[in-house]
Amino acid sequence: MTHEIYIEVDKSNIEALSYFLSSEDFPLIFMFANDERILSKNYVIYYVFRVKEEEKLLILRTNIYEEDMSFTSISKRVPAATLYEREINDMFGIVPIGHPDLRGLLFHGNWPTGNFPLRRDFDKSYKPKLIKDKRTFKKVSGEGVYEISVGPVHAGIIEPGYFRFSVVGEPIINLEATLYYTHKGIEKLCQGETIERCLFISERISGDESYTNSLAYCLALEKIAGVDIPPRGEYTRIVFSEVERLISHLGDLTGICLDVGYGFASYQFNMLRGLAFNIADELCGRRYLRSVNKLGGVRKDYILGKEKSLIDKLSSIKKEIYDTEEIIRSNSMFIDRVENTGLLSRETAKDLNAVGPSGRASGIRYDVRKNLPYSSYNKLEFNVPEHNNGDVNCRMNVKLEECYESIALCLKSIEVMPEGKLAESIDKFEPYKEAFGITEAPRGENIHYVMTGENNTIFRYKIRTPSFCNWPCLCYAVNGNIVPDFPLINKSFNLSYAGNDL
Amino acid sequence: MFKTIKKLIKYPRVTQDYPKKPVNSSLFIGKPVIDKDKCTCCTECSLRCPSKAIYRDKALNIPYIDLGECVFCSLCEEICPEGAIKMDTSFELAVRDKNALRGDTIILEDKDITEEEYEIVCGDVKKKIAKLFGRSLNIREVDAGSCNGCDYEINSLSNPFNDIERLGIHFVASPRHADMLLVTGTLTKNMELALLKTYNATPDPKLVVAVGACAISGGIFREAYAAGNGIASVIPVDVFIPGCPPRPQAIIYGILKALSKV
Repeated sequence: MTHEIYIEVDKSNIEALSYFLSSEDFPLIFMFANDERILSKNYVIYYVFRVKEEEKLLILRTNIYEEDMSFTSISKRVPAATLYEREINDMFGIVPIGHPDLRGLLFHGNWPTGNFPLRRDFDKSYKPKLIKDKRTFKKVSGEGVYEISVGPVHAGIIEPGYFRFSVVGEPIINLEATLYYTHKGIEKLCQGETIERCLFISERISGDESYTNSLAYCLALEKIAGVDIPPRGEYTRIVFSEVERLISHLGDLTGICLDVGYGFASYQFNMLRGLAFNIADELCGRRYLRSVNKLGGVRKDYILGKEKSLIDKLSSIKKEIYDTEEIIRSNSMFIDRVENTGLLSRETAKDLNAVGPSGRASGIRYDVRKNLPYSSYNKLEFNVPEHNNGDVNCRMNVKLEECYESIALCLKSIEVMPEGKLAESIDKFEPYKEAFGITEAPRGENIHYVMTGENNTIFRYKIRTPSFCNWPCLCYAVNGNIVPDFPLINKSFNLSYAGNDL
Repeated sequence: MFKTIKKLIKYPRVTQDYPKKPVNSSLFIGKPVIDKDKCTCCTECSLRCPSKAIYRDKALNIPYIDLGECVFCSLCEEICPEGAIKMDTSFELAVRDKNALRGDTIILEDKDITEEEYEIVCGDVKKKIAKLFGRSLNIREVDAGSCNGCDYEINSLSNPFNDIERLGIHFVASPRHADMLLVTGTLTKNMELALLKTYNATPDPKLVVAVGACAISGGIFREAYAAGNGIASVIPVDVFIPGCPPRPQAIIYGILKALSKV
């Protein structure tokens, strides 16, 4: 269980304090605003720093009064804050003064002005009509510079997003990604909804992270209710989290092999992914592990009676991954394609707070399961892969090694799982309590902030999936690479558009 | 190289022969079914349904589930005090008419041609499609604001287990090459224009298949300020495939249904 330290800070001091704090020991991991006018007559901005080496979060709360809807931007010294500040500007109309780039983030310039969806006086059922599109792009000029525009409907079967490459010859010199095409307004939708309903919404934030997202949501609310999950429930949760990670990573490996045109390996990994999906199907009758979590534990005993077949299937998948890894590693053409492609330097990764396999491949030693353990991860032995080069090869290696670790964690959890209850029942949640739920999703650190309202409803639900942090990293990693390598680099990050756009 | 060949011959064919042979669906969780004899109309399920898909049939005074809005979460099965709702194992749920997904007895006003007349009207078009497309079909997938679950399942259609190319169905990179659009997602505000442009870029005759609860009705997100009520509000849809997300086999069934091959 992570501990949260809340500190009230005056608006004028926040700049100096965050410059002082933000370093490798206190990375800014999350930042958001909350309309607390009915509680304290003001808005509040939260700056969440992680205390390295200790299982703690340091949260600075700053009040913003209605008379002065602005705050000092910290983006120039703390680059990780850039997107959060733009988001606050779009959603609340609180202006970050001194921000280097205040273009609309969510609405592409087509949103009618004066509508700030997350303010509580914005009617939930109101669907504004869009005005004429007038978005602007960063202009890169010079001799021989031309632009390639791609999207929002892509050639592959992926989600929508718009990319504008500035290119000289083959190498990319700038990539501007316009996202938020799948922006639905999940955070506003959850305002005032029952806690039970929001669990099902949280499962549908990002397709292949269904389980971890719902787990983060449950962790936050279980912290508010102050219940301890029975051990069998906790280990069941670990099994499901790791099965989901296995499915996701095998999908990424499929994509990496497919994008370099290595048909055999891609089909091999795709088949293994199919086998992993069969495990999910066998466990809960669904391929995307939805409707498994409930507040206080898990719904049913999904593991009982299936241990043997689970162990057999996982072991055979492990052997197959090992064999396939041996084959792809001995293929020099393949290694040539992935090595030194899409470099993300450690410095950039640190500045932008890269999380998950992408961060770990660039030398960031951080895994929520180790550093801020939840469920029963601290009772299990496992390794976190360490790589430093930050290229596609490293990201692929991290994912391959995590596949083995996930299988080992599943097997261990099944072995040590005690008999007993699966869930504690929670009847009532105290109003206006807040908590953070942090999990390690297949793509990295996943933070959910929940503030309860009256009568078991949600007052504020803020979601930050790992993709939000890693999208800017992708834009840096492609610089200097040739355009045909973009799909490969993109696949090695494998970011979720829906998880970013909400 | 030797190892690669060894691996290649090690595995027998893993591809399932769906739809020629049925799939063993005993483990699947399918659609919720209400046992009308057991139901006491306590409204517990319709109040707590996360997708608000359970309505009341005013004529018969019994609840019914709109499968176009249902997210198949099985919460209703769990909370029903009488045990009147059960999840079955069916997955072949695709339909041509959105109203068929509603389980009520009320006939909606705008449906003034009967099923047979509809068949006659569309008969000529169908013949033309069969003649034009022959045995092969090219599909363009468009994500209009989904959570990516449906897209992953569409991706799974080309994995070794389903291998949709054996049916003569291919995924293409451009709508200009496509005969069919496979659309997922609630149709978010930012995607409206892109979907319309994609639809207009697809040459006639074309088929449109809506995949998943979001594409049919907006699903669990339909009340959100930037989400729409499904793609049928903007473009004509031929077949609706319910599910959240629908299984690959359910999508194959839906695609074949659009071609009237099943």
